[in-house]
Amino acid sequence: MNFAFWIISAVTVLGALLAVTLRNLVHCVLALILFFIGIAAHYFLLRADFLGTVQILIYVGAVAVLILFAIMLTHNVTGTEGPREVLGLKWWSGAAIAAVLAILLKKAILSDPLATLLPAGDKAQTSVAEIGKVLVAGWVVPLEAIAVLLTAALIGAVVIALEEIRKSR
Amino acid sequence: MWIAAFLIPIGFIFGVYLTIFAFTTLVERKALGRIQNRYGPNRVGPFGILQPMADGLKILLKEDIVPRAADKFSHFLAPVLIVVPGLLVYLVVPVAPGMVAVDLKIGVLFALAVGTVSVIALFMAGWASRNKFSLLGAMRAVAQVVSYEVPTVMAGVAVIMAAGTLSTLTIVERQGGGILNISNWYVFRPWGLVGFVLFVIGGLAESARCPFDLPEAESELIGGYHTEYSGFKFALFQMGEYLAGMAMAGVTVTLFLGGYMGPGSGPGLVGGVIAMLWFFSKLAGMIMLNIWIRGTWPRLRVDQLMGFAWKVLLPLALVNIVAIGFWHFLTPRPLAWVVTTGWLAIWVVVLTKCNAGAALEKREYRFT
Repeated sequence: MNFAFWIISAVTVLGALLAVTLRNLVHCVLALILFFIGIAAHYFLLRADFLGTVQILIYVGAVAVLILFAIMLTHNVTGTEGPREVLGLKWWSGAAIAAVLAILLKKAILSDPLATLLPAGDKAQTSVAEIGKVLVAGWVVPLEAIAVLLTAALIGAVVIALEEIRKSR
Repeated sequence: MWIAAFLIPIGFIFGVYLTIFAFTTLVERKALGRIQNRYGPNRVGPFGILQPMADGLKILLKEDIVPRAADKFSHFLAPVLIVVPGLLVYLVVPVAPGMVAVDLKIGVLFALAVGTVSVIALFMAGWASRNKFSLLGAMRAVAQVVSYEVPTVMAGVAVIMAAGTLSTLTIVERQGGGILNISNWYVFRPWGLVGFVLFVIGGLAESARCPFDLPEAESELIGGYHTEYSGFKFALFQMGEYLAGMAMAGVTVTLFLGGYMGPGSGPGLVGGVIAMLWFFSKLAGMIMLNIWIRGTWPRLRVDQLMGFAWKVLLPLALVNIVAIGFWHFLTPRPLAWVVTTGWLAIWVVVLTKCNAGAALEKREYRFT
């Protein structure tokens, strides 16, 4: 258990570090995928098999592919970039966003230490049924709100695409 | 003991499925030959049976060429990665009662999730080659797999709802019983038949096989994402593609065709052997169906491919989920049969009418 945890952690951290340090944009995405898979492996290690599988399905199968698509739609298809500005405006704005996020997440991280997560162990076997019950019983309103939001986003995307088509004709 | 429980399934998966892969290439070439009114390979050994070994040896001896401008690391990694998802899916495909490498509680979801990872390897291959055709092929592959993933997963959802479980082993057990262990296969339900058709089409598209083999369309893209690969790396691409196709066939058999269920299959040694025979016969049947489709169908155009996924398959998959709701809640079984069949038939007709123009759209080519 511990041995596997350290190996997976090392790979995950390596992926995260490579994702922000590599020069080539596509390489960064590939490193990010390594990181996503590492997180999924962590979920599997915690016996949250549903969460791990969904992590692969959504993040590796969809989010990473979307990022790749976004890169392919720019002119920078080969992914090669010039020397990166260090300590420039972009760097500082990124650091500011990271700091704000850290402050916002501080309470959540501190109030839920890893120690209480680890022993979840065997009793998490029926995770799918439990998640389903929680979703449609206690959290049905947030679930529906997210569904409406996503539908609105989808319709919005179609409307934007339609305008583009109308312009080009 | 623990090591043995770990190694036996791995050995089984490698031994059995890689052998099936080797001979599938031979059977495919033979069958395609017959469809095209020629013999196919018949020189190596009796009836050309040793052809896969000759091919393997030939491909090992070939030169491995890496383009000078290629992204060396990604170019090397892509053919290695492409084989992994296909092999992982076999972990959750049961071949006999209780005989599944890992009886995951979420087996179906695992199979569907792992199957989508192959798209990353395809993209890496196409992008790393620094070749227009490779990149075009990779983009097509990504768009195609992402689009067809949706109706395929939705078709699987219907089965999950019917069985009330995500475990592949339990889903197969739910399809046992009835007349000769056959009548309870999900394919013999109205929603199951629709789901089966959706799943087979989605599986063909996800493993980029004919008529959905646009990512490697030889006539337009030379070979798509594997244009710049030669020797054993090319063989790995072929292997990954076949393994993924066979894995989808295996999942289809598990979800819709009753898995290892059939006359005579059951617990115990004899029943287990019969069950295994049933499973591999069905798998072979699905592989033959794929070959038949490849030999007889023309390739789709890109716009037809996308339109088909979003305008036909996705609505049908959603309608199918409603149908399984009817099936579950209408109490007398005959009533459920009538309502589900009627509901699905109406929607099949509606979708056919709505897409009638798109399917037979005429296209003019002018060379000026």
